[in-house]
Parts: sequence; C-alpha cells; structure tokens
Amino acid sequence: MSIRLQLLAIALTTLILPWAGCQYARELESALRISQENSLHAAAGTIANALSAEASRVFTDVETGEPFDASQGDLYVFPLHGEPLLDGYREDWDLGAAPRTLPTRTGLAARLLAGHTDRYVFLYLEVDDPRFDPEPADGLPDQGGFDRVDLKLLRPDGAEESYFFATGAPGPTLAQSIVRGDDGVGHVTLAPRIQAFWLQTSGGYHLEARIPRTLVGSRLWIEAVGPAGARAGFMGADTSQGGRVFMATPGLSELLATFIGPGTRATVIDANALILGTAGALPRAGEEALAPAGTWYRRFVTGDTSVWPLQSSAPDRLEGDQVTRALAGHPAAQWLRANPGQAPLLSAAAPIRVGDHTGGAVVLEQPGDQLLELRDRALERLFNMTLLATVFAAAIAFALATWISRRIGRLSLAADGAIARDGSIRLDMPESGRADEIGALARAFERLLGRLNEHAQYLRTLGGKLSHELRTPLTIVRSSLDNLESEGARPDQRGYLTRARDGVLRLQSILSALGAASRVEESIKQAERVNFDLEALLQSAVAGYRDGFPAARIELHTPGDACFMNGAPDLMVQMLDKLIDNAVDFCAASGSVIVTLTRAPSRYELSVENDGPPIPPDLLGRLFESLFEHRPGAGDKPHFGLGLYIVRLIAEYHGGRALAGNRSGGSGAIFTVILPLI
Amino acid sequence: MRKQIAIVEDEPALRENYAAALARHGYQVKTYGNRKNAMQAFGVHLPDLAIIDISLEDEAEGGFDLCRDLRALSAEVPIIFLTARDSELDAVSGLRLGADDFLTKDVSLPHLAARVAALFRRIDALRRPGDAAEIVRRGPLSIDGERMQTAWNGSAVTLSLTEFWIVHALAKNPGHVKNRQQLMDAASVVLDDNTITSHVKRIRRKFQQIDPSFDAIQTVYGMGYRWVE
Repeated sequence: MSIRLQLLAIALTTLILPWAGCQYARELESALRISQENSLHAAAGTIANALSAEASRVFTDVETGEPFDASQGDLYVFPLHGEPLLDGYREDWDLGAAPRTLPTRTGLAARLLAGHTDRYVFLYLEVDDPRFDPEPADGLPDQGGFDRVDLKLLRPDGAEESYFFATGAPGPTLAQSIVRGDDGVGHVTLAPRIQAFWLQTSGGYHLEARIPRTLVGSRLWIEAVGPAGARAGFMGADTSQGGRVFMATPGLSELLATFIGPGTRATVIDANALILGTAGALPRAGEEALAPAGTWYRRFVTGDTSVWPLQSSAPDRLEGDQVTRALAGHPAAQWLRANPGQAPLLSAAAPIRVGDHTGGAVVLEQPGDQLLELRDRALERLFNMTLLATVFAAAIAFALATWISRRIGRLSLAADGAIARDGSIRLDMPESGRADEIGALARAFERLLGRLNEHAQYLRTLGGKLSHELRTPLTIVRSSLDNLESEGARPDQRGYLTRARDGVLRLQSILSALGAASRVEESIKQAERVNFDLEALLQSAVAGYRDGFPAARIELHTPGDACFMNGAPDLMVQMLDKLIDNAVDFCAASGSVIVTLTRAPSRYELSVENDGPPIPPDLLGRLFESLFEHRPGAGDKPHFGLGLYIVRLIAEYHGGRALAGNRSGGSGAIFTVILPLI
Repeated sequence: MRKQIAIVEDEPALRENYAAALARHGYQVKTYGNRKNAMQAFGVHLPDLAIIDISLEDEAEGGFDLCRDLRALSAEVPIIFLTARDSELDAVSGLRLGADDFLTKDVSLPHLAARVAALFRRIDALRRPGDAAEIVRRGPLSIDGERMQTAWNGSAVTLSLTEFWIVHALAKNPGHVKNRQQLMDAASVVLDDNTITSHVKRIRRKFQQIDPSFDAIQTVYGMGYRWVE
C-alpha cells in the first residue's frame, strides 16, 4: 500500500466525525421526542380533566352511548368557520370534507353535507336529476309530480316537524310545511326561518339550506324525492331510530382555545371519535417543508419514521391508535407521519371521563418540535461542514502524501542511480537541503555515499600505492639476490636462488598489473592527440598479436581503406592489447578471435569477439568497472579487474565508449568500442 | 687508481647492496644517507661518479638539489639518478639537471654496473683525442659509440645513457623492427612497455628540438620501433 493510500485512509477516518455527530443527534432527537411526548401528554391530561369537570358543556344532547352509524342515517355536522352564502355552491364552506352519498332507495342519487355555525345548521344536497320539475302553484307533496326534498327534524324539545323544499323556479326559496287544518286538509305554508337556495345545473340540482339551530334537536332526516316518486335519503318512520345529529358543541372550541398555546391543535372527540370541537392550528404545511437538497442525508441524522402511521385524513373524526386507546380509557401518544416534506406530527390523546365511563377524549396535536427542526438544521450544517472538512483533510492528506511519496521516489531513484554503470558515484542527493526527515535521510545517503566513494577511491588508488610501496622492499630483495648470485653461491644453493628470483619476478608482474590502471591514467594525462589511420594500426597490431599468441587464430576484418581518427595511437594499442589479452584468455586453446572494424556514418565500431563462454547478462553492465573481476577459473596470471577498466578509460579518452555483449546464440562474447570519426 | 663512486641513498639496505655490487666490480664506494653528509664529503673530495636517489630522507626532491650543487662543483662528474617510479622519469628528464642517466631503482645490479662502466668508458673516451673509427652515420645521424654521443645534422643531441643505447640499437640496423624487449636488452634496463614508449617519445622530442621534421623513429604498432632513413 503506497504512502498516498495510507494517508488517504487515515484522512478518511475523519468521516467518523459526522457519523458520531449523527449518533449524537439521534439520541438527542429521541430524548427530545420523549420529552415532547411527555409534555404534550401532560397537557392533554390536564385539558381532559378540566373538561371532564364540565362534561355537560362538552357533551350536549347527543346520546353518546350508541356508536355513530352512517348507514342508519346518522349525520355529522361539521363546524363551519363562517356562515356560507346561500347560493347553491359549497365552495365557500371551506371544508375539506366531500358530500356523503345518501342511500338510493328508488332510482335517485343524492349526496349530503351538513355544517353548522353557532346559530345555524347548513345543509347542502346534490341530487342527480337533470330534469327540473317545478312545483305547481298549488302542488302538495303527496301528490308528487315535481322535484322535492323532504326534511324532518326532531326539535330540542322533542317535537317532530316535517318540511319540504320545492320551487317553481330555481333560486332562493323557503322551506314549506303542510299544516293540516281541523278538517284534515293540508295547506302548504312557508316556513320563513328555514331559507334555502335551489340551483339547477346540467347534472341535477343543488339545494343549500339554512336552519336555525334552535330548530335542530338530536335527529334529522332528509330525503330527495323525484317527480315520479324516486327517492334517495333517509326518512325514518320511527323517530327513535337513525338520523342522529352529531355536532360540535357550541362554545367548546372557544373553551379549548383557552387551554392551548400557538402551534398546537386541540380536538375534543366524543366516544365515536367524532370531532366535537377544535381549537388552534398547526403551522401550515410548507413553512416546515425541508429543502429537498438537504433531505438525502437526513436519513443518517433522523430516526426512522417509516413505521409511523400516516396522519389521519378523515375530516369529521379522528382515527388512530392513540385515539382508540384514549377512548378505551388510556392516555396515549403517537408520532404520525405527515405528508412527505412536512414535519412529523405528535398526537397525544387523553380520555375525558364522565362519571364512570369515557365520554370522549382530548387530542392534542403538535408538529415535531421547532427545537428539533432547529437542531436538525444545525446538524445539517455540522454534517455539511464535517463532510467538507473530511474532503478537505483527505485532499490535503492526498496532496501531502503525493508530495512526500514523490520526494521519496526521487530520493530512491537517485539512490538507485547513485552508483553509475561505470562505477562512479554521484554524491549529491535530491532533497538534501530540506530540514525534515526526508532531508535527513537524503543527507544520510550523502554521507553514506561519501564514505562509499572514499572507499572506492581508496580501492582504486590502492593498486598504485601498493605497487609503489612494495617496490622498494622488492628492489632490496632483488638486489640482495643479485649480490648473492655474484658472490657465488654453492651449487646446492643455486636452486633456492633461482626459485627466489622467480618469486620476485612474479611479485613484480603482480605489482605491475596492480599499478597498470594508474599508469594508464597517468599516460592519458600526458597523451598527445594526433590524426592516425586506425586501419593501418590494426593491421600492424594484429600482425604483432599473431606472433604474440601463436596458438590463437586471430582474424581481422576492416573496411579496407584508411580509417582516420584523432587520438593517441599508443593508447589505442594498449586498449587493443587488453581486449586481445582478454579474448585470448577466455577462448579455448584452439579458439579464434575476430577483430572487426566497421565504419558507421558517424562512428567507428571496433569489436573483438571470442569463442569463449558467454558473459552472464547481469554482469554485462559491470565488466568495465574498476576492480571488477569475473573469471570462472583462476589462471596463472594475476588479474585485478583492471584490463577492461583500462579499455574504458582509453575509449572515454577518445570520446567513445566500451560495451560488452554476447554473440547471438551464446557462442561467445563480443566487446565493442565505439569511437568517433574525426 | 680505483674509481670512486658515491652512492646517496636513504634506504640503507639498498644502499649497501648497490655498494657491495659496485665494490665487487672494483670500485671504491662511499655511501651517504642524506644530502648534508654527501655535500660535506663532496666539498672535500669529488667522487668520480655519483648515484643519487631523488628522495632523500625527508626531502622529497633532495636529490635534485644535491645534483645541482654537485654540478656547480664539477661539470664533468657523471651523475646517475635513481627514481622510485617510472612515471617520474619524464619529470626528472624535463628538469635538465645535467644528469647522465635516469634509472628506476629496480634496475638489476649487473645492469647498474654495466652503465657505471659505460659512463666511465665515456669519460675516458672523451679525454682521449678522438679517432672516428667508431662513428656510425645514418643520414643526418651520427653516433659516436665510444663517446656515446649523438648528433643530428651536426648538432649534438643530449641523450641520457639509456636513450643513447636505444637510439644506437635502432640505428644500427635501419628498417629492422626492434621490439620492446630487444630495446630493453640493448639499454640494459628492465622496464615495462609503457616506459619504453615514453623513452622513445622523449628521444623523438629531443631530436625534434633540433629538427622539427624529425621522424626517423617509426612506431610499428603491436611490434616495436624501427629506424627509417
């Protein structure tokens, strides 16, 4: 793993910051939720207690014992916020609820909606009867033949009253009732307290009626009747069944309003979960809408709300677990999901006890706390910033690591290349000027290389020094032997003398070989350059070698004409000496040595091939180093790894270079010296 | 009267070996370990020949000074320089100290004796009135084998003894290639090839000082040298 990746990985650990923030936020959120639940619970309980003390004001005329049964014609009368105009349209009712379909008795469809204010009960009836059949001037309901809506009321005092609506022309109208005289003959009389508006549309007619509340008791039945007697609606024959009116308690909303603060909605429901009164309003949707862009990571921040039930949408009643439980007598709270993009809603319900049974419940609703929202936003920012910080840290770490690894890379490249192929040592390292650890490393490398260089230098000069220092004692030995010989040794001592002299000679040749490189360096310094014919030099030199090495077959291939170059011919011959020496040494006794001179456009190539074993590839680059020696079998002659070094010195003196290679097929080695033309 | 040879050499063993060898050849040998002692003795009595080591005790080039001082006392005493290294020969030669020969210390004792004898012979020959019998002529070159003197186009070429013998060996058989070994034998020295090369180079230079167009000594690469007329 590269340093870059390592540092990047370390930088990524800063991601733990937003994660930890999320964890903390979740805990904080659940704590805040619980505390909000508790406080709302307590408030609901308080209101429930207060209301149970005034149960008579809360639960008015409605027989609360029996469950609400719409199929029996029970009717929920919505509280209205203002009095609508009687115009046949219900748009100004400002209700979320749609008209409820009345059961069709014979061939007529109708829908009903009821609402009330403090003073009136409003009815809105839609009847699908495209043909308008006006009421004749003297028409009686039981005669039929025109469109009619029957209405029966059970007044608060228990009296039962019947009305009907019919009109000669669409528009404002009044309810009519039939008053039977003593003779039993009915007269139609107008009931001016009950006003209505008949609106004829293409699909049928709308009837919007207004009835004073004083007329409306606990039950109400309504039925649309067509001209041929088709009917839709309820018209219970038995006034003790069906048609019950469920209605918000007057004044209850105002009473509730005194209990609650802003941002909370309180609702009182009866045992059927129908709304008796409501106060307060929830913040309008949209105000709390969250920025869509910020929502993707809210899943990390907020708790899981997907299991929460959706907010109840029935307009006339409250539903939900908490409501059911409260009506069963147990206070309960429930978090609700609102529509997407809206804050979650907390709903707490507490039962209102009337005597020994539960008369209804108070339900308090509050959006997810404002504080939670604020916290969310703060966390959102925190999340953003830590994420940004992580990205920043990662970028910095990556850049730093890139920088560091590039520096180390440069250093290691330089360290690799510090010892050149020719054995020379580069002492200056990159980065050594820096004050940091890499700089220190570079300096340590420099010191190390300096030492190595001194050592190499020492080794290089050691031969010369040795051959110089050993010369005097050797001379002493030799001159002593000379003297001994001249003094006349006994015949039996001659053998020793001869051996001693041989030893001295060998020692001398060793010293001479040891000092060869320094002598060549010396002569290079003093060499004089002349123009000479390399071809002629080769011809003459190779002829000499044939004499010198009679066993070897030495071939020479040249371009055939003069090959002039500028340099020191003596040095060239010395170089050739070393190459031929080397080649003859390495090839078999009867082997052949091929010397080839070729002229390329810009250079001469002088190569010496032999039949000997190929050179191991890993040694090819090092053969020309000073003191590098590779000879599988040690011969008689001492070798110090200077011969090819001398070849290199001389080639470089001439502005050329020396290369070693193997013949293709591995049948021998080739040493090539590339020399510049004049 | 026995010739007196002074050996100035700071290495006692070597000094004694040289002395013993030369004494065996019948010379009277005086040895000195440093310049001061030698100079004191020379002031009293001049030797017939001096063999001087270049580095003397702590004077790296004490031999040069001694040579100069001795030359001041006498222009004729033959002087042989001994050097520790072949590479110094060039430098020594370039100084023109008036020495008659330059040798490396590893010269063998018979060779040393041979050139001492040769130098004495030359002194003797120079003192005798000349007979031209020994003079070899090769074109512009004339070699007086007896006096060991060389001239090119009539002007004398100052060669050291070693150089003289090399020229002599080459010029004796013009056109014949003499390899390095043959030249070494002729010059009574044991040298490595490079040293022969540098001797030849020096010889050429000395001739070229008289005649810049001199090129009578030809290198036969890989073999040796020959004299061309």
